[in-house]
Amino acid sequence: MYGVCGCCGALRPRYKRLVDNIFPEDPEDGLVKANMEKLTFYALSAPEKLDRIGAYLSERLSRDVARHKYGYVCIAMEALDQLLMACHCQSINLFVESFLKMVRKLLESDKPNLQILGTNSFVKFANIEEDTPSYHRSYDFFVSRFSEMCHSSFEDPDIRTNIRMAGIKGLQAVVRKTVNDELQANIWDPQHMDKIVPSLLFNLQQEDCKESACSCVSSLPQGSEKEKESPLELTERCFRELLGRAAYGNIKNAITPVLMHLDNHSLWESKSFAVRCFKIIMYSIQTQHAHLVIQQLLGHLDANSKNSATVRAGIVEVLSEAAVIEASGSVGPTVLEVFNTLLKQLRLSVDYELTGSYHACGNIDSAVVKEHEERQLQEAVIKTVGSFANTLPTYQRSEVMLFIMGKIPVPGMHPAIGPASSGFEGSRMIQLMLLKALLQVTTGFQTTNMLTALPTSFLDPLLSFTLMEDMEIRLLVLEILVSVIDRHDNRPKLSSISIISDISVLKLKVDKCSRQDNLFMKKHSHRLYRHIYLACKEENSAQLHFETLYALLGLISMELANEEVVVDLIRLALALQDLALTNEDSLPVYNRCAIHALSAAYLNLICQLTTVPSFCQHVQEVIETRQKRVPFLLPEDIFIENPRVPETLEKLEGEVVFLQTKIAEVLGGSGYNTDRLATPYIPQLTDEDRLAKRKSIGDTISLQVEVDSRNSPEREERCPAEEITFETLKKAIVDSVSTEEQERERRRQVVEKFQTAPFEEIAAHCGARATLLQSKLNQIFEITIRPPPSPSGSVGHGSTQRRSVPVYEMKFPDLCVY
Amino acid sequence: MEDYDYLFKIVLIGNAGVGKTCLVRRFTQGLFPPGQGATIGVDFMIKTVEIKGQKIKLQIWDTAGQERFRSITQSYYRSANALILTYDITCEDSFRCLPEWLREIEQYANSKVVAVLVGNKIDLAERREVSKQQAEEFAEAQNMHYLETSAKESDNVEKLFLDLACELIREAKQNALVNSEDSSMPGEGKTISYLNCCSFS
Ligand SMILES: Nc1nc2c(ncn2[C@@H]2O[C@H](COP(=O)(O)OP(=O)(O)O)[C@@H](O)[C@H]2O)c(=O)[nH]1
Ligand SMILES: [Mg+2]
Repeated sequence: MYGVCGCCGALRPRYKRLVDNIFPEDPEDGLVKANMEKLTFYALSAPEKLDRIGAYLSERLSRDVARHKYGYVCIAMEALDQLLMACHCQSINLFVESFLKMVRKLLESDKPNLQILGTNSFVKFANIEEDTPSYHRSYDFFVSRFSEMCHSSFEDPDIRTNIRMAGIKGLQAVVRKTVNDELQANIWDPQHMDKIVPSLLFNLQQEDCKESACSCVSSLPQGSEKEKESPLELTERCFRELLGRAAYGNIKNAITPVLMHLDNHSLWESKSFAVRCFKIIMYSIQTQHAHLVIQQLLGHLDANSKNSATVRAGIVEVLSEAAVIEASGSVGPTVLEVFNTLLKQLRLSVDYELTGSYHACGNIDSAVVKEHEERQLQEAVIKTVGSFANTLPTYQRSEVMLFIMGKIPVPGMHPAIGPASSGFEGSRMIQLMLLKALLQVTTGFQTTNMLTALPTSFLDPLLSFTLMEDMEIRLLVLEILVSVIDRHDNRPKLSSISIISDISVLKLKVDKCSRQDNLFMKKHSHRLYRHIYLACKEENSAQLHFETLYALLGLISMELANEEVVVDLIRLALALQDLALTNEDSLPVYNRCAIHALSAAYLNLICQLTTVPSFCQHVQEVIETRQKRVPFLLPEDIFIENPRVPETLEKLEGEVVFLQTKIAEVLGGSGYNTDRLATPYIPQLTDEDRLAKRKSIGDTISLQVEVDSRNSPEREERCPAEEITFETLKKAIVDSVSTEEQERERRRQVVEKFQTAPFEEIAAHCGARATLLQSKLNQIFEITIRPPPSPSGSVGHGSTQRRSVPVYEMKFPDLCVY
Repeated sequence: MEDYDYLFKIVLIGNAGVGKTCLVRRFTQGLFPPGQGATIGVDFMIKTVEIKGQKIKLQIWDTAGQERFRSITQSYYRSANALILTYDITCEDSFRCLPEWLREIEQYANSKVVAVLVGNKIDLAERREVSKQQAEEFAEAQNMHYLETSAKESDNVEKLFLDLACELIREAKQNALVNSEDSSMPGEGKTISYLNCCSFS
């Protein structure tokens, strides 16, 4: 075939003789070192001959490969390597071509040793810097072959591992060689990335192959200090390096094959590998690109909207984990987009669960929606919302809170955005899910400015009646309130409701209320009180509700209370007691006991916070009497597994009841506003939705008509008749001094309110009066049938109601509303 | 100085188990491998053949048929000069999947790719599920060459690759006429020949 040796020996040029001389008689002897030095010296002194030396060496090597003389092949490669190293500062362009041709030749072989030999040489080559790289050079074959080697299925496991590791190193070398020079083959092109990335991931997956750790030592002839590295470690290192080098424009091409690989190998479902991959990605990628990865994951989630819940849950889980890494940078510039996608997934999942189909139109499709999987997905999405929210600064977090709030269907406030197909249950589920997500966002949220963090547009829907009726939803709303109000981590200290004789053991953290806090309370306190009051009136309440209400009352007292707020909170607690006493709402005995217990527990807390001894004493006395006579009115006896509740709640009088007059008196001595304290708290029922909640969405028109009719004067007239009881008469006498001033103050408030309060509030206020009126009327009708209620029974509705309503007050809102 | 005149990249595709690996082994190594495992990802073989005095180097990429390796295997279609789409004549399923494979080709392969349809395992004639006529009609409709082979009995295997090589040479020559600049794909071997001392015999 080749006419190299023999005939023309005598005429052969010097360089050929020098090359020939480096080969020993017996290949076992290895490279002839002294002659190699001569050859190197010659090459250095006559660099123009380098190309020819390379070409001749490679020619010999090709021949030896063909003749299976592998000893000589190794020697030729060693010589090429050495020449490359020695001469790399010279112009070696053509030499490199010969060199690469030889590497190719070796890689084409089906002999593992030659493949590995070729790879090692390629790695060395990749580490040298060429002064003028050849731009027409293609690395296509190398990428293809190294990727193929990464998948080696060679029978012998040790050799297989070595081939695979060589493949990984080869890929790493190609990347290093090309990555810094855009004129060279663009390694980030999909044609390369789609080979490189799956090959790395495939090896990253091979965790079970424990054979690896030591086996690699044996057959890597050029093994360096890296010998002990396992294939897994090597792969991970290589993957990290690749990602670390990715510039902004390359991220997409690098991540897309990861997503495809996880899709194809069904690796989302089991999560752990997918999570591991993206942890590596997030930790390796340049920080400023992290949000691109998140964007791609979100896009992938969207693309998989109709895929099984387990796949979606896997992607969501990955998102959640990725969010935690690179905390501040991961969400990037499009915060709301992230949440929008997640909320959209939540809605879709609820839809799927309710309709049992992945198709909105209800096509009968082969894919069956698995309810419990959808549930798991929903949980995962909610968790992920939390993970992302945690990475956000406060101002963005409250933006997100508002955003989520805006997605919650609240009839009358937000257009019903629930899908038509899922109806009432649909919007309930959506409410539930979104509130859960909202709770996640509020957890750990600490704002110094309540006023801006919780604007009316947030509080209005949150405190609306629509979100009051369902016990689960009601609890979530309370939890959300607790979580936004708690800024000093006092919540855990109030996690259970009990009478604590010395609250100093709780080590509560209390800061002085800021100006903004005061403004916030001035604007919104009455709605918080009302919400608490009405929540207590709901029949379907469990221990958890009362515990959360207790925490809420406690946290308001610690976070947002000035003197006026303290007074109002005490009035509220007393109004709750009255609520339980009068029982106008015919609550079950359990609820009434629970409300008593809540009121007692809270008064016990607030009296110690005020540190007014005589207040504490009164509270303590009542509690002690209760312990003896009616223990079921205390948290310790009612908030237990099987509370012993009496059949009926007899008239409670005297020492087991907290007395408003007494409290007003003792606190007045410490400078609190006695007049205000003595005035029973009346919730300002806003409620449109008091009725609306029983009606379908969009019934507002008929609702307004109803409100109208109940405002009619003839009913109003009858109102005062019922009010004359012993208690109210007594109160009238006691209060007479202050009535006028109170009235003035009240007017001032009304005017102020109409000047400052938002429209909805005014409208709601108007409705509330009507509702109160209605309940009074109901009472009156009841009176005519039944014996009159006990004197103490009507304490709950006091002076405000009794007064005839000045015309301007009633007309003003009417003009606004209608 | 190159040891070949033409270099062609051939990729084998088709369902798992139809005999792709056996076809490649039979052609490159002359053997019918007893019970080797399913291909993982991709496999690589090389064989140089001589046609009319010209050395043709065939780079053969054998792909895994399973769905899960689809992304890596697809990435190999792109640079292929020829695709051998294989099915098993004793397995109608593998035949029915062909349109799906064609869609893959359409999507990922070079538009100028030469595609051959191969029905393998004709040594199992008694278990044939797909008639020759059926396959021929299908191939004709798709504008493909069709050949039936047995990797086991070495039937038509040589012919398959050699015919393909001839076809590729023909295409390469045509291409060279149309566009002499195009160095990328077929005929990659005919590059720099700056050294001619003691050249080939
Ligand atoms: N009888 C027969 N069996 C074959 C033939 N080719 C392959 N097989 C068998 O079919 C099975 C799958 O072959 P393989 O080459 O691994 O298929 P691949 O997945 O397409 O690569 C193996 O058990 C082979 O022994 C053939 O021509 N005739
Ligand atoms: Mg195979």
